Amino acid sequence: MRRKGSLQIFLQLAVFAAVMLVFVSPASAIPAFARKYSLRCTACHEAWPVLNDFGRSFRDNGYQLRLGRDDTVTADPGYWPVAVHIVPTYLYTKVTNQSTDQGVKDIGSGGVADAGMDLLMAGVLTKNISFLVVPTGFASDGNVHLESYWAYFSRVIKDSDWLNIRIGQHEVDLPASGHRPLSLTDTYLLYSYHPGVPGGSNLSAYDMGENQKGLEFLGHDQTDLTRYSISVFSAQDSLGSRNALSSPSFYGHFQKFFRFKDGPISEAEIGVWGVQANYPTQFLTSGGEPIPGSGSNLQASTRYGVEANVWIGPTVAPLHLDVVYGHGTDKKELLLTADGVTPADRAGTWNGGFFEAIWVPPADLLHWSIFGRYDVIRNQKQPLIAAPSNYNNQDQWTLGVIYTLSYSIRDEVAFHAEVSSNKVKGVGIAGLDQRTDSIMLGVDFAY
Amino acid sequence: MTIRIARFLPGIAGLLLVMGSAVAADTGDVKNGKLVYERYCMSCHGDQGNGQGEAAEYMSIKPRDYRQGTYKWRSTPSGSLPLDSDLEHTLINGFYGTYMPTWRVLDERSRRDVIAYIKTFSPRFATEKPQDAIVIPPDPGYSDASVARGAAVYVKYNCSQCHGAGGQGDGPSAHELKDDWGNQLVPYDLTKGHVKCGDQSTDIYRVFMAGLSGTPMPTFSDSLSSADAWDLVHFIQSLSPGYAKNFAGTAANNPTGDKK
Repeated sequence: MRRKGSLQIFLQLAVFAAVMLVFVSPASAIPAFARKYSLRCTACHEAWPVLNDFGRSFRDNGYQLRLGRDDTVTADPGYWPVAVHIVPTYLYTKVTNQSTDQGVKDIGSGGVADAGMDLLMAGVLTKNISFLVVPTGFASDGNVHLESYWAYFSRVIKDSDWLNIRIGQHEVDLPASGHRPLSLTDTYLLYSYHPGVPGGSNLSAYDMGENQKGLEFLGHDQTDLTRYSISVFSAQDSLGSRNALSSPSFYGHFQKFFRFKDGPISEAEIGVWGVQANYPTQFLTSGGEPIPGSGSNLQASTRYGVEANVWIGPTVAPLHLDVVYGHGTDKKELLLTADGVTPADRAGTWNGGFFEAIWVPPADLLHWSIFGRYDVIRNQKQPLIAAPSNYNNQDQWTLGVIYTLSYSIRDEVAFHAEVSSNKVKGVGIAGLDQRTDSIMLGVDFAY
Repeated sequence: MTIRIARFLPGIAGLLLVMGSAVAADTGDVKNGKLVYERYCMSCHGDQGNGQGEAAEYMSIKPRDYRQGTYKWRSTPSGSLPLDSDLEHTLINGFYGTYMPTWRVLDERSRRDVIAYIKTFSPRFATEKPQDAIVIPPDPGYSDASVARGAAVYVKYNCSQCHGAGGQGDGPSAHELKDDWGNQLVPYDLTKGHVKCGDQSTDIYRVFMAGLSGTPMPTFSDSLSSADAWDLVHFIQSLSPGYAKNFAGTAANNPTGDKK
């Protein structure tokens, strides 16, 4: 019995570590583009893999520089649109207030994680039609799945940049990319948080940071300083409903950048974003089990918020401060109590956000990046009236440093060190708080 | 939590001051320009500005060696240093068909700074001043008659020797051309729909009158009249498919002949 308990805890930790590593398997830098255009990774990435202005513009233009060397005919014949990205890491994780036969314990465990691999295939098929396909996985479990796959049609209306269309599984245009985070251990809480019902479940699995299947309409001005994105998609991880879109969802994002010719602030940005992801709550059943695609009575997970970015110092080696605020609501029909049938008392509402700082020291050929982030979730209305008001409130901080050992027009190798801590109110055994601390050392390389 | 954040405020304020002091208010900060250069330019142009970055050996059209202060695209007469605005023109527009992309997306401050840094590679900028930009008279307007006259100018000045009779860059001397650094050059194919040094009519005119320093493309400013130069511009524009159709008869509305 004791052995079974230990095994259970070990498995919990292993799953936790695996989940984190799956989350942090980002479709990040794509060295194929560096090879194609003979530009170093630093041309597109402020701090690998966060995009800078040039990288954002390059992405928004469908991975084209538009100087006659973009498509498969005019590009250098030696160019092959494939890159590989792997992050071998050592990860130590300690979780507090775990239930064991020996009582409540803090359990820590570390080891070299089972690294997966991203196969990044991207390029330009013909003028103004580009693509991205990212199979990811390839770890010892043998699983491989397509993280992204899309075609992108640029300048749909004549030579205007104001309408580009992406079709396929894509990351919606988030305030900060969930697939290009600097942190390799922590995801943005704002993107994945749902209000909690003690012992219950949530029919909405919406995660802003996850790629979604659908259409994106994106537009921007010539210098990419004013831009919008609207995505229409069927939300992931839904059992599906009897509608044209089985889990119809809508995301919108608008950004405006400002540049300053003089003074300590070189650039600033403000933006608004919002999403409504609809999930079915009633199903036809077979043998008591819901029939996929038979859902009805769609109910919404809604998120909306604002963002601001400031770049202090030169834009090529900035102190970049990013703050994002969001308000979320999950309808009560989505929130089920412990019996798995009865809805919660009311909709769950919450506020959350994060503050992130990225500094690229202006020395040593821009080899260093230092970053920190603080994520916070505060519940406003608990779905169960009887639940403690701070149940499932979360605080998370992350500090990290990246030293890019080598970057060239062919590859990039970076050492990555990170510490982080996540604290959740009341979700541990007997309503105790639960804290997860982790230390990560990794080598992040792509070629 | 508010109290905790407040504890860090003096530190944050101090850091902002340090970062802020690194930014110069005047034009062209060489120190910041070096960072811009390292981030965007060094892979081709090299850390010494000698055009021998890590990517250079794979390129058929070699990156510019900055050390001589010799630049292809200038508004100034042949042999002169370029104006800062000329270098910015190159940064904003790139060179079509080469590996030099447009850096239009870069903020003005970064462009200003990197220009200041690039100029440090050549001692000429410390001792010489660029000459004034050449004066470009107004475009008399695209017409079939002008194209026909331009075709004659093309023959008279033996442009076909390098660029070929049809303007496809396949003239008899096309395979013998080298730049000042001994690199093989291929004359530009004028039928591609884009011109390397810019699609504006004035860009093409400027090439005839200023030449492309460091290459076999000479200046014709001493022998070519402005009227002949404009006819030649129109002839070259006519070589690109669709160009004549787009511009014929539009001189009244588009007196400079520039693409909108």
